[in-house]
Amino acid sequence: MELFVSILALGSIYALLAGGIVIVYKASRVVNFAHGELAIVGAYVFHSAGFLTGATLTGPSLLVTIAISAAGSTLFGVVIYLSLMRRLLGRPTFVAAMVTIGLAIILKAGIVVIWQSRSVGIAIGRQPLYSFAGGGRIAWIDLVSIVACVLMFAALAVFFQYTPLGRQFRGAAENPLLAAQRQVNVNLILALAWVLAVFSATLAGVLFGSRSMLSPQSTIIGLSGLTAALVGGLDSLRGAALGGFLVAAATYLTARLISPTLAETVPFLILLVVMTWRPWGLFGTLEELNRV
Amino acid sequence: MTKTKMAGIAFAILAAGSLVSASARAQDYKIGYITDLSGPLAGSYTPTWQGFELYIKALNDRGGINGHKIVVSIDDDGLRADRAVAAAKKQVESNEVLGIFGLSLSSTQAPVIAEMQKVGVPLVSTFSAILAALPPAKANYYSTGVMFEVAGEAIGTFSKKVAPSGKVVGMTFDSVGGRAAILHNKLAVEKEGYTWGEVLFPVRTADFTPFAQTAAEMKPAMVVGHYGAEQNIGIIAALRGTGYTGPYVIASYGASEDTVKQAAAQAGSGDNLYMISRYAVPTDDAPGMADLIAAAKKYGVVNPTSMHVTGWVLGMFAEEALKKCGANCTRESLDKAIQGVKLDTKGLTGGSIEMSAGNHYGPTYWRLYHWEKDKLVGVGDWLKETDLAFPTN
Repeated sequence: MELFVSILALGSIYALLAGGIVIVYKASRVVNFAHGELAIVGAYVFHSAGFLTGATLTGPSLLVTIAISAAGSTLFGVVIYLSLMRRLLGRPTFVAAMVTIGLAIILKAGIVVIWQSRSVGIAIGRQPLYSFAGGGRIAWIDLVSIVACVLMFAALAVFFQYTPLGRQFRGAAENPLLAAQRQVNVNLILALAWVLAVFSATLAGVLFGSRSMLSPQSTIIGLSGLTAALVGGLDSLRGAALGGFLVAAATYLTARLISPTLAETVPFLILLVVMTWRPWGLFGTLEELNRV
Repeated sequence: MTKTKMAGIAFAILAAGSLVSASARAQDYKIGYITDLSGPLAGSYTPTWQGFELYIKALNDRGGINGHKIVVSIDDDGLRADRAVAAAKKQVESNEVLGIFGLSLSSTQAPVIAEMQKVGVPLVSTFSAILAALPPAKANYYSTGVMFEVAGEAIGTFSKKVAPSGKVVGMTFDSVGGRAAILHNKLAVEKEGYTWGEVLFPVRTADFTPFAQTAAEMKPAMVVGHYGAEQNIGIIAALRGTGYTGPYVIASYGASEDTVKQAAAQAGSGDNLYMISRYAVPTDDAPGMADLIAAAKKYGVVNPTSMHVTGWVLGMFAEEALKKCGANCTRESLDKAIQGVKLDTKGLTGGSIEMSAGNHYGPTYWRLYHWEKDKLVGVGDWLKETDLAFPTN
C-alpha cells in the first residue's frame, strides 16, 4: 500500500510537469525543454518567500507564500512569452525549442548565482498521515500531491471544455491562422499557455521539494516530465496524466523489485518502446505528429 | 549596447576572475585553485573555496608571507574532468602558478594529475582525496582532505557509539568513490560484528523515496549515508517518512551542520542524526575556529560551516608550504617543501597534518558528532587513522 501511494504521489508530480509541457505544445507546437528548471526555480522562490513570510510555514504565512509564488509564476509565464516566445512567432518551432534549452541553462545558472547551489527542502506536509502496522507511513504531502494533481487536471478539463476562453484556446491550438481571422486573440492564448505551464511547473516543483529536496540537480525531474509527456502523447492532457503515473510506477517498481541502480533507466526504456511502436504517444494524435 | 559599455562589462568580468592577478608583482606567490562552482556539487565546493579565499585574504592583509602577497587564480571546473584539465593548463601557462589547490571530485582529479606531473606542478586536493596520495604516493599529488576509503573505515570504527549491534545499512550513489566508501565501511563494521546491507542508487536521482523504503525494509540498527549534502537531506526525509527513526550517520563528503539542520527541518525531527567529520565544526571551541569566525565577520562571510573550515585549513596548509619554500620558490622547491609540512591546525582537525616524501596524505583524524537541538556536539575524542586496514580492491 505504501508503495502504491508513493507511486501515486510521485506520479501526480510528474503528471503536473507533463501537463505543463503538453499545454505549451498544444498551443504553440513548441517542446519546452526548460520545464524542470522552471519547476525548481519556482520551488526555490517558494522557499525564499517562505523565509520572508515566517520561519515556519503554517497558517497565514503558508497562504501568503502560496499567493506570492502563484503571482510570481503567473508573472514569469507572461514575461517568458513576451520577452522570448512572442518574438519567435512564425519561425520554425525548433528555433523556439532551442530557445527553451537556452532558457533552461540560464535558469540553472540563476539557481547557482542566487541560491548559491544550496540544497534546501520545503518543510511542509512531512507529518505522517497514516502508519501501517507492518511499518511504512503515508505523509500529508503525498495526499496533497495527489489532490493537487486531480484538482489541476479537473480545472484544466473544465476550462478547455466549458469556458469561452478555453474553447478559443482549443481553436487557436487547432488552427491559429483561422482563429486569428475569427478575432481570437492568439497572443493572449499563447501567453495563457505559458502562464498555465509555469504555474503547473511551480506547483510540481513545490510538491517535489516538500517530499524530497531542492538543488540544481533536482532540475532532472523535467526529464521525467518530458518522458511522461512523450509517452502519453505531446498533445494529450489525458496522456500526460497517464504518462506521469507510468514513469513513476516504472521508477519505483524497478527500484524496489529489480535493481535500485536501474531505477532511472527503465522509464527511458519505456519511452523507447512507445516511440518505436507508437511515435505519437499513447493518447497523442498522428495528425499532430505529421504537423511537427 | 555601446562599445564603451561592453568594454566596461568585459573589464568587470576580467577583474572579478581572479583575486588580484592583474596587480600581481614578480615577488608575489602565484597559486591556482580549481573547484566546482557551478556543477552538481557546487553547494559543497563553494563554501570550501570561500574558506580558502577567506584565509588568503586575511593572510594578505597581515602582510602576506614575509612581505610577499599570495595571488590566487580561481577556475570553475563544473565537476567536469575536461574543464579541470583545461583550467590547470591555463593556470600553469598563463597564470604561471607554483602549485594548484582545491580540485573537485575524484573523477576530475586523475587527468589533472597526469597533466601536472608532466610539468612538475604540485597539486593539493581537499575534498575529495584519492588513493594516489597514500604510500607509495604518486609524485606531485597531495591531499589534506577526505578520502572515501579512510572515511568508510573510520565510520566502521565509530559504529559502536551509535548502535551496539545489528545490521548496518550503507547507502550511496553508484560511483567509484561511493562504492569505495561502502566497501571499506562494510569491511570495518563486519569486523566489529555487525551484519551489513547496502542500497546503491543512480547518481542523478532526485526522488529518494523508493531507495529509503528499500533501506528501511532491511530493518537496520543504523543507516550510513555516503554522499553529499543534497542526497543526505533527501534521504533522511524519505527514511523518516518510512517510519524509520533509528540512527542515521552522515559521512562528511561535502556535508556540514547546515546539511543536518536542513535535513532535520525537512524530516520534521533532528533525533538520532550523527555526522562524522574530518574537520571541526564552528560550534567547537578551538583557537583556529576563533580566527576563522573573526575573519568571516570581518570579510562578510555569513554563517561559516565545516566546509568553510575545510577550505580555511587548506589555506593554512598553503601558507605553511609557501613559507617553507622561501622567497625564491619554484614549482620543484614547492613540491619538496610540501613534503616537509607539519601543520598545527589550531584545533581545526584532531591532530596535525603531516606530509612526507612517501606519504602525501599523512595520518587523519575523525570525530563523531551528534545533532542536539540545533547544533552538532562532539561524541568522545578524535579517532586517528594512520593507514587503510583493508585492501583497496
